[in-house]
Amino acid sequence: MTSTLPSPTSTQLSPGREAAVAIIGSGFAGLGLAIRLRQQGTTDFVVLERGHDVGGTWRDNTYPGAACDVQSNLYSFSFAPNPEWPRTYSGQPEIQAYLRATAERFGVYPHCVFGADVTGARWDDAARRWRVQTSAGEVSARVLVSAAGALADPAYPDIPGLDSFAGTVMHSARWDAGHDLTGEQVAVIGTGASAIQIVPAIQPQVVGLAVYQRTPPWVIPRGDRPVKPAARRVYRRLPGVQKAVRGALYAGRELLVVGMAKQRRLLKPVGRMAKAHLDRQVRDPQLRRALTPDYTIGCKRILISNDWYPAVSAPNVELVTTGIAEVRPHSIVSRDGVERPTDTIVLATGFAVTDLPIAHRISGRDGRTLAQVWDDGMVTNRGCTVAGFPNLFLLVGPNVGVGHTSMVYMIESQLAYVLDALRTMADEDLAVLETTPQAQEAYRQLIAERSRGTVWLAGGCGSWYLDRHGHNTTLWPDFTFRFRRLTRQLDRENYVGTPAHAEVAA
Amino acid sequence: MSRPVQKQTVAVDAGDGALLHATVEGSPTAPVTLVLAHGWTLAQAAWEDVAAELAPELAAGELRLVRYDQRGHGRSTWGTTEPVSIDLLGEDLRHVLDRCAPTGPVVLGGHSMGGMTIMCLAAAHPGEIGSRVRGVALVDTSAGDLRRAPRTRAQRLQQRLEPGVLAFALARATFVERLRAVSPPSSRTHQKVVRGLLYGADATDAMVLAGAEIMHASSVRSFATFYPALGEHDKRDGLAALTRVPVEVLVGEEDKLTPVSHSRQLAQALPDAVLHVEPRCGHMLPQERPELVAAALRRLVAGARVGV
Repeated sequence: MTSTLPSPTSTQLSPGREAAVAIIGSGFAGLGLAIRLRQQGTTDFVVLERGHDVGGTWRDNTYPGAACDVQSNLYSFSFAPNPEWPRTYSGQPEIQAYLRATAERFGVYPHCVFGADVTGARWDDAARRWRVQTSAGEVSARVLVSAAGALADPAYPDIPGLDSFAGTVMHSARWDAGHDLTGEQVAVIGTGASAIQIVPAIQPQVVGLAVYQRTPPWVIPRGDRPVKPAARRVYRRLPGVQKAVRGALYAGRELLVVGMAKQRRLLKPVGRMAKAHLDRQVRDPQLRRALTPDYTIGCKRILISNDWYPAVSAPNVELVTTGIAEVRPHSIVSRDGVERPTDTIVLATGFAVTDLPIAHRISGRDGRTLAQVWDDGMVTNRGCTVAGFPNLFLLVGPNVGVGHTSMVYMIESQLAYVLDALRTMADEDLAVLETTPQAQEAYRQLIAERSRGTVWLAGGCGSWYLDRHGHNTTLWPDFTFRFRRLTRQLDRENYVGTPAHAEVAA
Repeated sequence: MSRPVQKQTVAVDAGDGALLHATVEGSPTAPVTLVLAHGWTLAQAAWEDVAAELAPELAAGELRLVRYDQRGHGRSTWGTTEPVSIDLLGEDLRHVLDRCAPTGPVVLGGHSMGGMTIMCLAAAHPGEIGSRVRGVALVDTSAGDLRRAPRTRAQRLQQRLEPGVLAFALARATFVERLRAVSPPSSRTHQKVVRGLLYGADATDAMVLAGAEIMHASSVRSFATFYPALGEHDKRDGLAALTRVPVEVLVGEEDKLTPVSHSRQLAQALPDAVLHVEPRCGHMLPQERPELVAAALRRLVAGARVGV
């Protein structure tokens, strides 16, 4: 994966540029769709990427220690297996290299327009096309696919005085590699998936580290090890073996769903394993108490790490659980009136997930944005389409998220659905394809019903999985193979199609 | 919000790879720094109640407080020096002073092995006493002779077997840990043993539980490695430097580990020292009588402000 790749070129959109399909984003989702289109021989599409390379979340999250919590054999495209993964769990550099190499291999780069931040997309009902404005020019497309993702835009906490801080403030997803933390007093705010990777990576280097925790995560051991050269040889020669390993990993992880979504008591052994992991690694009784969650395991994302607990127990680290009252120019004051001198603040505060920024920029037939339409909660048909937004497909949209297994599996399920929709439009010569409010309502009920009694709603925690109304609008609340079955083909009965030759309604 | 109190967590480099987990609280401009050293198989958390007593002084900027975990205890690591001795802990304390209290007068407080740590510092670096160190509190501690000559046959046998037992415990630490887990601090037997060994008549169940939890968190290694070091500790002839500063000696009347006689011996060797024997208390005065310990520390701090 370390072959010399041509550096991606940045193109400007030529005036009057048209495309059959415009894809927003080139992470796993956008890239995956582009590859599948290429495989079908479709070339009339454009990938609009605000960054300067493909990769999405894996391009942007370059903080020290960034790695994936799912084994690479599973966290990769099924149609682009990589026998060369150096470790069972890969770090950000390896995953990003894989994405670049895969984009190169399938000829996606020529379709990419880098530096094209979508500022607005509007459905033009008369032309039956999407008019997309980007920072690199405009494009008009028959079909718009938003693969902007959920872990794309950093969420910034609302802490009094943060603006007045005189030192450096960095979000984990916007890491400044040029800023040297050596010898500094550092504050890490948050103890989610990013924080538990950053803290062990920077702890040996900083003078002092204060970790500000609101709710402790459940953490289980990480079974990460190098992949032996012999195993790589086998993967290279017998792709079926790697496929079988992938299948076994998938099945093993899917077992968790039984506990999370069906029978919560089956999570007890997982909770016991996590507690034993904590007790083994943290001896200090006060610290152990502060690190022990009071909610059912699985309610928030289960994290995997072998070095998080040793790092927070290190002599130069303090775990602060009292909450932040304010930030001052050179310090952070917690609610108990303790002031800690601070040189750099790392915001490991995650992403805007339940209020997707892209939803504010896409406006449908009646001129309202997706965000406005979704004000009472995000509703869709199969996580993919929205009534009033014809020819728009969302990848990694509402209720497509998973915390226990590979997002790539969900993305590939969605790709099949979108491709079948495009095929249907071609076969029936449709200019417009739009889902119905009835279909959305039925799907909303299905999600609500499947979410009832799951650990995410009943596990006794608040999490980024739930929106401000307490509804699950982010996670798929069932076995992922059921989602795949649901999205294998377009549910044509839930769509209204307008043939290309039909008169444009007045 | 009232004026916030500054706090910093510091890893003090002890020079041989050991990193000492220290907590520094209070204004950097406070006139006096108080440094507290804890006892065997304890951790800085053992000073919690005393620190709570001193909170007003900390908030008022009259005092800086440094608490640290001795090497191999709490969240401090082990270094490469072998075998460990209490003298080594004295050197560690000097590193803590250099890092956390580089300027200004200092008052030292030591409980049990922490008191011995201070005596070792004073013996090895007498120049520190009177110059930087302006007062010392020695709580439930001893200048030496903890391993008395055996009087009965059982005691003789016990002392002969000790090294073997400790070596076994060290070699089979994981096994011993599992045995310890069978009877956690929450169990009644565990608390009964801890109470009988360490606490006096007035100790509450909450105190015993808190202490038992801190000790339970210590490792088999710190128990087994420091046990012989405590037996070898003897600074009865090295206390001279401590005569130069005010010293308060405190002990629980029912202390079984470092009995009252040891504190009387200290008071004899330090004629100007104030001796306080507290009735109905055992070996855990910082927990059993935090207000008493805090009052002694306060007197020493006041003296340090005025100057010797």
